[in-house]
Formats: sequence, structure tokens, C-alpha cells
Amino acid sequence: MAEKNLPKINPIDRPFWQGAAEGKFLLQHCRACGKLQFFPRVVCTGCFSADLDWVAARGEGEVHSFTWVFVPRNPAFKDEVPICYANVVLDEGVILESRIVGREVANVKLGDRVRVAFQETSDPQIKLPVFELVGRL
Amino acid sequence: MRRKRVCFVGYGSTEYSRKSEDPLLRHYARAIGAALEQTGLQKDDIRGFSVTTQSSPDYSPHVAEQLGLELDWVLNGDYGGAGAVMSIRRAADAIEAGHIDVAVLVGGNSFDRSVVHQRPLEYQRANYVDVYGYGGPNTLMALVQRRHMQQYGTTLEQIGRIAVAQRESARSNPQALLRESMSMDDYLKSRMISEPIRLFDCVMPCSGAECIVLASEERARGITDKLVYLLTDAERVHYQVGEMLPDKTTFGIKPVAEKLFQEVRREEIDLFEIYDDYPIAVLIQIEDLGYCRKGDGGKFVEGHDLSFKGDFPVNTGGGQLSVGQAGLAGGFLHVVEALRQLRAEAGPRQVKDAERALVTGIGWLSYGRNLGTAAGLVLERRA
Repeated sequence: MAEKNLPKINPIDRPFWQGAAEGKFLLQHCRACGKLQFFPRVVCTGCFSADLDWVAARGEGEVHSFTWVFVPRNPAFKDEVPICYANVVLDEGVILESRIVGREVANVKLGDRVRVAFQETSDPQIKLPVFELVGRL
Repeated sequence: MRRKRVCFVGYGSTEYSRKSEDPLLRHYARAIGAALEQTGLQKDDIRGFSVTTQSSPDYSPHVAEQLGLELDWVLNGDYGGAGAVMSIRRAADAIEAGHIDVAVLVGGNSFDRSVVHQRPLEYQRANYVDVYGYGGPNTLMALVQRRHMQQYGTTLEQIGRIAVAQRESARSNPQALLRESMSMDDYLKSRMISEPIRLFDCVMPCSGAECIVLASEERARGITDKLVYLLTDAERVHYQVGEMLPDKTTFGIKPVAEKLFQEVRREEIDLFEIYDDYPIAVLIQIEDLGYCRKGDGGKFVEGHDLSFKGDFPVNTGGGQLSVGQAGLAGGFLHVVEALRQLRAEAGPRQVKDAERALVTGIGWLSYGRNLGTAAGLVLERRA
């Protein structure tokens, strides 16, 4: 029986997952040019500086696109279909891939405001950032 | 950039089947064997060799050893769906540089269960995509399609016209696994996979292989009198990768097209073999190629007949959507079909007076954006 995927935390993104476990969505910030980026990398995608630190996003943004997944690649997720898999653009101006969960998710549409929430996983050390529709809590 | 002395001299295809467990090596050997037979070349004429696949962890030198090839040039051409076009570019470079005068390029897929497929190391997919119950390419393209529909008012019926037209062309292609007629209603009512992507938006995975033979102009003249030249070619890898607010509805085909159309005029192209992992991807590439404005792709496909008989022939053998996708042979399928058309070997689906064909390849899913690899080339038949 397949298991649901969990992140395999690596030296590059360990701070991100530590932040998530504490309820913070961390973006990488380039100390040389000021650019914010996600997902975590070893250099800035703007100026190639390796002088990166982390800043907490406010955790709000809007739905840029979404799909209802009926056939997940890993069959272990079948008990959750349809899954609302989405692109979210954070107010900081960074696009993400995540899930939209919670109340009224069936009525989600592009442009809806969303706020990050952190879901427990089978590993007590790992929390998964997901998004909920704002104002429909 | 304009190519001067690189020719396509032949091709070879295997039959496709749903789940053949024949070893991938046997599929390669069949496709290469068919190409050798067509060109009259001997095994020892093959001095350059490239393999494009993701279904086996094997590398091109191992494959060459299996097939008994002693080489002056070898390549792993795994660039996703753009692998065929990008391998052709590299082989053309080697031919123009004089390293080799004949290159055999092969792509394929099998469901050989004795081979353990190893996915490449992809932190970004494993940690930020797979954990959410991602549905693979279907999900990625669903995000792109919804954005296109919302932003430009593109309808399912417009997108479906591409799938329906390609199926019509496939009906006279014996290689196609899907040859029964398909109506718009069939398309619209097909099972939802990753909404708005439905079953008939998706390619059917299958087993098989495709092979292409390139040669220098001098060598080509001794092989065939059906000379098809590589006119021009370009690629873009990771378009918008540093853009944190990317335009999901534009692919790297846009900058590729800007380069291609410096060497040939848009109206000089007679047929289009556009990488069709999904109908929406074809629609977007028609826009990116500049045949209509961004966002007008829906209206464009409504206003044109896309079948092999039509005024804008696209994927004249049915494309991957109707033939099936033998893994990364899928990118080769488009080049092979272009060659069949330009050599007047397409039988009942022959496009009249076809002189120039444009082929694209896209692949390699990228985080938050769309495709990581995009490439295109133009072929020209000369008497």
C-alpha cells in the first residue's frame, strides 16, 4: 500500500519546513538585490547571489488558478479526491503551488482571497502549508 | 540561425501497443532497423547516436553497446517532450562541425516490468508538489487551461475542436491506437481527470519507438533523392524561471518562434506538427508562434480547418492525442509525420504540395509556471 508523500527535507529547505512547523510561511530573500523567491534554492534566481536569508510572508494572497484532481499520481491520495490543487499568488508577489481546503472550497473561483494554514501530517515534525478561503472560516 | 547543410534522410517507426512488456531495447532496434532499411544504410554507417527516453534508467552508451554501435558521437537526449527537437539540434551541430556525417536518433517507451524506473532527483517536485496529491502533467496543464479560459474566455468547445480534428486525421493512420470517430459531445462528456482536463484531453501511454536519421548534405545526396533540409531551429529552456509572477499561458515557444521566423516567413509553412500532450497546449503554441494574438487561439481554431485537408493542417497523423504517447518517442512522432508529409509518403492523409513543416516540442514540468523545455524547427523539402 502506497503512502502519501511527505517532503524529504534537505539542507537547502530545512529552514522552510522548520518555519512551517512553527506556523510561518518562509520565503527566501536575497540580501544582495532584495528579490523574494519560492521554492528554496542555493542562489537568487535574479542575481545569482548566494547571500540569502528568510522572511515570513504575511500568509495571504489570492487564487491564481486551480484544478479538481480526480486522479492523483500517487494512489494513496485517492481517499481525498477531488483535491483542490491550486496556484496561489502571495501578496508579496510570489506564485506557489498548494491546496485549498476548508469551508466553501467547492465554490472557489479565481481571484478569491486565501490565507495559509498548517496541516498536521503523519510525521509530527512536519506541517504542510495549505490555504483556506478568507471570510468563509 | 539558418542551417545550411543538414538533411533528414529517413525515419523508422514501430507499431504501437497499449502495454507491451517487450524490452525497450527491442523497440529501439525495430525503429532503427526500419530506418536502416529505408535509407539503405548499414549499421556501421551510424557514427552518431542519441537516445531519448524516461522509461528506463539506461544511458545511451549502454544502449549503443547492446546494439553493437561503435561511435564518434553519443548523446542522452532526455529533455522531456522537447527531446526529439533538441536532440536533432545537437546532432545538426555535430554534423555542421564535421564530427559525424550520419546521426541516428531514437526515442521510445515500454512497460518492461523488469526495469525499475528511477525518477530523477527533483527537490521541487518531491517537496512542493507531490505532497499535495498532485495529478502529474494533467494537473499542471489543468492549471494552465483554467487560467487561459478565465483570462481570455476560451471555451471547452474551442479546445475540443483540436482533439476532434486530430482524431479525424488519425482515422486514416494505421499507426494510431485511437481511430474510432470522436464527436465534440464525446470529447465534452469524457471522464474528468483533473478538472477542466478530461480524458480526451490526455494522451494514451503506450509502447513503441521512433527513429530519425540525419546526414550532411553531401552524404544525404548519396542516400535519397527526397532531400528534406533542416532550415532553422531554436530552443528556450526555463522560460520565466526567475519570474515570481509568471504568465502561465505563454510557453517558451514564444521566444523560440521569434528566432525561427527570422529565417522563414509564417505564411511559408504548409503544415504544423505541434507537440500535443494536451489540446490546450496546441492552442497556446499557435498563439505563441504568432498565428494569432495571445488569447485569440480559441477564435483561431474555430475559424480554421485543422485536419490534413484543412487550411491550417495541425498534427496530420492524429498527433499523440490519437496515435498514443510512447513516452518520449512522442516528440519524435511529430518529426516523423512531418517527414512523411514532405516526402509525399503520407498516403490518404497527404497534405497537398507540402514543402515546409514546422515542428515543436515542449516538456519538463516546471514549478508554478508551465514547461521547462521548448524547442522548434522548420523542415524544407527541396528537389
